[in-house]
Amino acid sequence: MAVLGIESSAHTFGVGIAMDGNILSNEKEMYRIGKGGMIPNKVAEFHIDNAAGVIDRALEEASIALREIECIGYTKGPGMGPCLQVGELTAKMLAARLRVPIVPVNHGIGHIEIARHFAGQNDPVVLYVSGGNSQILKIDARPYRHYKVLGETMDIGIGNMFDTFARGIGLDPAWGSTVEKAAQNGGYVELPYTVKGMDFSFTGLLTQALRLSGSVGREDLCFSLREISFSMLCETTERALMLTDSSELCVCGGVAQSQRLREMLGLVAKEHGASFGFAPNEFNADNGGMIAFVAERMHRGNYHVPIERCGILQRYRIEEAVVFG
Amino acid sequence: MASRLFGEGAEARLYTASVFGRSIAVKSREPKAYRVMELDLRLRAQRTRSEARLMQRALSLGVRVPRLIALGRFSIYMERLDGRLLKDARITVRHATQIGRALARLHNGNVVHGDFTPANIMEFGKELYIIDFGLAESSGRLEDKAIDVLLMKKALSKDVYPAFARAYASDSREGKAVMGRLAEMEKRGRYQVRTLT
Repeated sequence: MAVLGIESSAHTFGVGIAMDGNILSNEKEMYRIGKGGMIPNKVAEFHIDNAAGVIDRALEEASIALREIECIGYTKGPGMGPCLQVGELTAKMLAARLRVPIVPVNHGIGHIEIARHFAGQNDPVVLYVSGGNSQILKIDARPYRHYKVLGETMDIGIGNMFDTFARGIGLDPAWGSTVEKAAQNGGYVELPYTVKGMDFSFTGLLTQALRLSGSVGREDLCFSLREISFSMLCETTERALMLTDSSELCVCGGVAQSQRLREMLGLVAKEHGASFGFAPNEFNADNGGMIAFVAERMHRGNYHVPIERCGILQRYRIEEAVVFG
Repeated sequence: MASRLFGEGAEARLYTASVFGRSIAVKSREPKAYRVMELDLRLRAQRTRSEARLMQRALSLGVRVPRLIALGRFSIYMERLDGRLLKDARITVRHATQIGRALARLHNGNVVHGDFTPANIMEFGKELYIIDFGLAESSGRLEDKAIDVLLMKKALSKDVYPAFARAYASDSREGKAVMGRLAEMEKRGRYQVRTLT
């Protein structure tokens, strides 16, 4: 018996199937952002067009028949309303049709738990970095098992900073990777560096980088933007590691695909004798597999929500989600 | 000068050393392997200078801090305090009141600490010393001051926080405004107090 998970909080419509803690399939379609960025209604339409096809592919890839699905999980939030609604509706229809329970999953918990799973870690300090999110977290057992935010961005997510910068200097904002590519031959220029305790801020850095884009070379700006923002993440993560006296560190979310960030965090972990882990790239980008994985744990924990109370929550804080397993 | 490592923070190491028979503390900012060299040198030099400057200013504002002895490019040589950190102590109402007063004095002189937690307050004799001005800044902004209050609020128990807040609000020239800004920040969401208990 298997659990099917649906992810649709942003640009990706993803479906995964999990069984006994293993992910049998992880299929997705990704909306391509052009110059205009993501328009929620357009992305939602894209998800509607792709939902049935991606579900079929996930079942086929897992060699699981629809009637073998014992529970449906979907992303409740955080994310863009119209996009989340497509996943919610799809999940409700499937659950009603199959007469199986439904579980709403927090998107961030999906990213973290799948990384912790692949890293084989129990209680790591987690750096969760994506387009809209940048947080440092650790499990707290009270008053219920949840991820406590130790530090986070005071303004925008780091991925959005890269994409806004790329768009601002006329590059294609392809999920930060454009900046990463342009950074390869760059050198260092001075840009603002802002950390406060375990919190950090990216807008000052972004504004100054854009302001200098007329006078300083593109490659140098991309290099410095990357190095400085990643160093801010490393410094605050290192502080969290020391303050909590942890022996495990993991990184997750879309930006965790960056080789450079992994290399830097690996050095931080090594300095403190901590293990360092992350998930394979297909699970760092948004995906349905992580939702299925978490949904299965919630299902085993009997955390079912009556269908009429299964909604979406665009600003679903990560601390509010109960963690199983 | 013989030296011995006795403490390690996220960005610096603390050594004790003996100079002319006197025991001193040396705070030395070590290179970080993950940072590119230019940024590494910039942050270490900048923070060392700024920390020394702000410690002197704190002292002139009547706040107890370790006394400065000498300044190197990446190292601060200072008086050694042999006390215990408040993060390792049970924080009493008396402590909380003293912390509130000290923070008010700093803020009245537009010094914000930047990492104002019990890990950076040392009890030595009967007195509390504020240490680690590594992330401190010269700032008159309400938001920066409110962040100092917020960091301490997150670290203090519900039993002693009111004493801290009261002492701060009554001694700080902008106490009301800062507490108002704090309430606003908590409502904003990004900065809500993150403990659920």
